[in-house]
Amino acid sequence: MLIERLGRELLYFDGGMGTLLQAKGLKPGELPEVWNLTHREELVDIHRQYFDAGSDIVLTNTFGANALKFHDSQYELKEIIDAAVANVKKAATLGVHDNREVYTALDVGPTGKLLKPMGDLEFEDAYKAFKEVMQYGEAAGADLIHIETMSDTYEVKAAILAAKENTKLPVTVTMIFDEKGKLLTGGDVPSVVAMLEGLRVDALGINCGMGPKQMIPILKEIMEYASVPVIVKPNAGLPKQRNGEVYYDVSPEEFADTMNKILELGACAIGGCCGTTPAHIRAMTQMADRRPVRKPKDKEYTMVSSYGRAVVLNRKPVIIGERINPTGKKRFKQALKDHDMDYILKEGIAQQDKGAHILDVNVGLPDIDEVSLMREVVCELQSVTSLPLQIDTVDIKAMEAAMRIYNGKPMINSVNGKKESMDAVFPLVQRYGGTVVALTIDEDGIPQTAEGRIRIAGKIIEEAGKYGIPKKDIVVDVLTMTISSEPGSARVTLDALKGVREKYGVCTVLGVSNISFGLPCRPVINANFYTMALQNGLSAGIINPSSEDMMRSYYSFCALMNYDINCEEYIRQYAGVTGTTGGRNNASVQQAGSESLTLKEAVEKGLKEEAHHAAIELSRTQEPLEIINQYLIPALDVVGKGFEKGTVFLPQLLMSADAAKIAFAVLKDVLAKKGGKTRQKEKVVLATVKGDIHDIGKNIVKVLLENYSFDVIDLGKDVTPEAIVECAVKEDIRLVGLSALMTTTVVSMEETIRLLREKKPDCKVMVGGAVLNQEYADMIGADFYGKDAMQSVYYAQSVFQN
Amino acid sequence: MDIRTKEAIRYLGYGSHAIDDGTLALIESSFTELDQTADRRIIYRIFDVSCKEDDCVEIGSLSVISKNLSKNLKGCKSAVILGATMGTGVDMLLRKYALTDMARVVVLQACAAASLEDYLDEYQEKIRQEMKGRGLYLRPRFSPGYGDFSISHQKMILRMLDASKRIGIFLTDGNMLTPTKSVTAVIGLSTLEIPCHSKGCEVCDKVDCIYRRYS
Repeated sequence: MLIERLGRELLYFDGGMGTLLQAKGLKPGELPEVWNLTHREELVDIHRQYFDAGSDIVLTNTFGANALKFHDSQYELKEIIDAAVANVKKAATLGVHDNREVYTALDVGPTGKLLKPMGDLEFEDAYKAFKEVMQYGEAAGADLIHIETMSDTYEVKAAILAAKENTKLPVTVTMIFDEKGKLLTGGDVPSVVAMLEGLRVDALGINCGMGPKQMIPILKEIMEYASVPVIVKPNAGLPKQRNGEVYYDVSPEEFADTMNKILELGACAIGGCCGTTPAHIRAMTQMADRRPVRKPKDKEYTMVSSYGRAVVLNRKPVIIGERINPTGKKRFKQALKDHDMDYILKEGIAQQDKGAHILDVNVGLPDIDEVSLMREVVCELQSVTSLPLQIDTVDIKAMEAAMRIYNGKPMINSVNGKKESMDAVFPLVQRYGGTVVALTIDEDGIPQTAEGRIRIAGKIIEEAGKYGIPKKDIVVDVLTMTISSEPGSARVTLDALKGVREKYGVCTVLGVSNISFGLPCRPVINANFYTMALQNGLSAGIINPSSEDMMRSYYSFCALMNYDINCEEYIRQYAGVTGTTGGRNNASVQQAGSESLTLKEAVEKGLKEEAHHAAIELSRTQEPLEIINQYLIPALDVVGKGFEKGTVFLPQLLMSADAAKIAFAVLKDVLAKKGGKTRQKEKVVLATVKGDIHDIGKNIVKVLLENYSFDVIDLGKDVTPEAIVECAVKEDIRLVGLSALMTTTVVSMEETIRLLREKKPDCKVMVGGAVLNQEYADMIGADFYGKDAMQSVYYAQSVFQN
Repeated sequence: MDIRTKEAIRYLGYGSHAIDDGTLALIESSFTELDQTADRRIIYRIFDVSCKEDDCVEIGSLSVISKNLSKNLKGCKSAVILGATMGTGVDMLLRKYALTDMARVVVLQACAAASLEDYLDEYQEKIRQEMKGRGLYLRPRFSPGYGDFSISHQKMILRMLDASKRIGIFLTDGNMLTPTKSVTAVIGLSTLEIPCHSKGCEVCDKVDCIYRRYS
């Protein structure tokens, strides 16, 4: 059995395929997979040479065989895969002369498309494409699934889940790194290892992209983090060009020589990729000579990751931002109810800017579809931040939905000592990977003693072990109780914190600010308790990173305990700040003197801070609505007219818009406090049409419309005509704005207008975008062509005046 | 002022107008942020060219019917096909600022375009030197989407360059490149050195365009 041999015996993969096929007559642009049927003998011969050279695992010629990439009118995918597997099996009978056990690996390469949000492929569509191929492969008799040459963690996650959920075959994965140790999509080595091990692959590693020498530093880094067997399959050097042709020039001997070092570094399975030939593999197997290998040692890092970075919890204390959570936050609750995604995302970005390392995500509210909302918020957050997320929910369905769609190894909040909880959460961690917060509470409640809480932690760790979830993937929360209602509870929490660290060596987490409910000046207690908790072994505090007091505790602790080498971070934060009252952000002090600007001037000049300040000042003496009519709208009009005349340019127009937006927000708050009602806003739908992924023009129009008090429903980019029409009908919309950048997508614009006319005839349509002009707009039946963003505003105003 | 700054200002629609200090500062800080974020990658290969009748050109496995491209490649026996990208990080940056600072998005977008062109110009200079040694001269860079050179050819171009694997450029269903700050282009190689400095704006018929270059 392969699984038993991986990591115990040295195994050899095969080498390159493409160059050998080309040598046999494959033309550039021709689909190599078709050769499985049309040139069977050639394929069998290549595979045979690899078996003959000593390969144990030979890959089928199916790298591009998936429904998204492989389009051939003559042959079905299934036929191709059946033939590909049969070819390797046939070659094994011809090429293996020593009765050794060999394996046919179903080779699975990338779909050739980029997944959302970077590209336009849906995660589940990638999953389906992989699933189809893998099911054919298993039925045809493949012994394992080898997913390779992947440069996107999200795509590889879809492929691994497809393999695990639809076949019983072992799964090995190799990814393509560059010389900086990064994937093309930005992921680094620890983030890749964390995710792949979380998904329970049987082996992981690197292939393609580089020669064996260049892979050495990457391999070293992999070995630092990996606990599963590691595969290395380099190219025969870096690609070179001669007369426009790509070639590789590392000789078999040199290749074998470097592979020797790669084995010394701890690889358990080796082979070759582009440019390597049976001669390379033969030289390699002769050099390696079936020497004994060992699986990498189990690493103890507690890691969570996103597609771009990993956070290691045991190196230095980390901050989990608590702000994406409706508890006790009126404004956030409203945002959830209104589906105000921008507000939620801004909370995430603000916490990142303030220094959070992980973001907690809690969107639970009664009467809300938490499953779909959680899934959506996780996806959207991952399109604007590379911080890892902590999925925080009591709804198991929402938890699973988020874990499935999450790109990386998430943190999960939470499991507890109740059997019911562990029975529900652990299978999810086993399936999708994750680092899980374990609350020390069970059927008997929260123990009053530190010993009691430590005991529950032990119980949870033990139960997790039954699912194959290692201790390092459990982060214990010994629970913060409120000292005003439970005197002495802080001491219990701190003792328990220290206890679990000492007894189990696990990482810990606490919701720090619970400590101070009901007390005045909460930040004072919170910050001091936070320092004490850190001192007692807190790895991850769930805090508000916008709280100056908390951040001071954090940076001071890290500086004092030498987690912050040379106090670099501390100095970066506090250089130039004097005394005890100074904040980290002293920009407002430096800009003194400009305070005298009026609101109108500040907006016209596009100065955000000043606009904010002036709006606050004015609101002390004047009514919000008066301020809007007397200063804000006139300022926007001046800028708008200037833009039309060509004296104000787009960046300035938008700086003013952003400044006005801030002033509006100030006034809105004032109005809300006074209990005043904002008037019902007119709704406008905006979308970039199907097929178009450029949304900057649409976003510009959005900002301006919002300034002029329209309620913009932003459907995003690449939006189908059906989705736009459905929204227009459902919300009874009177104006839709459509944007398209390319000639090719004006067709979707036309189709959208046609469908709107049919289903919502009273709705007006304005269009804009680089390729459009009045003539074109008339041709596709739009009501209005906006040559720039201001024209759209004026048109919108005219539509609603009538 | 360097070329890429000038180009960014042009992309922002300033034409021959002077730029204000606020925007200039924004441009400078945008270039700084881009230089930190961008992961620029480029790849090229040389293919044989044969010009057929009816404006049909064949470049390796790529067969194009385009009057503009035929004219551009007239007399060339071979051509460079290249792909270049600023990487996925730039798109992320644009998405992030779209939530908080649209002025910065607009400026970043212009700077990213200018920076990408700058990167291509620099690289093209290397190709020019290399080709000169072989007695070949470069024609102006020509990309799908220029004139009647359809963007539907992106697919074959990416395949010929193995661009998704090598530098991470992908195609959407609508034949658009992702990351969005990516380009592909054809550069004809000719044995004759003919002065053809004109490119882009100078050969475009749309003379009332606000982005037109005046040099």
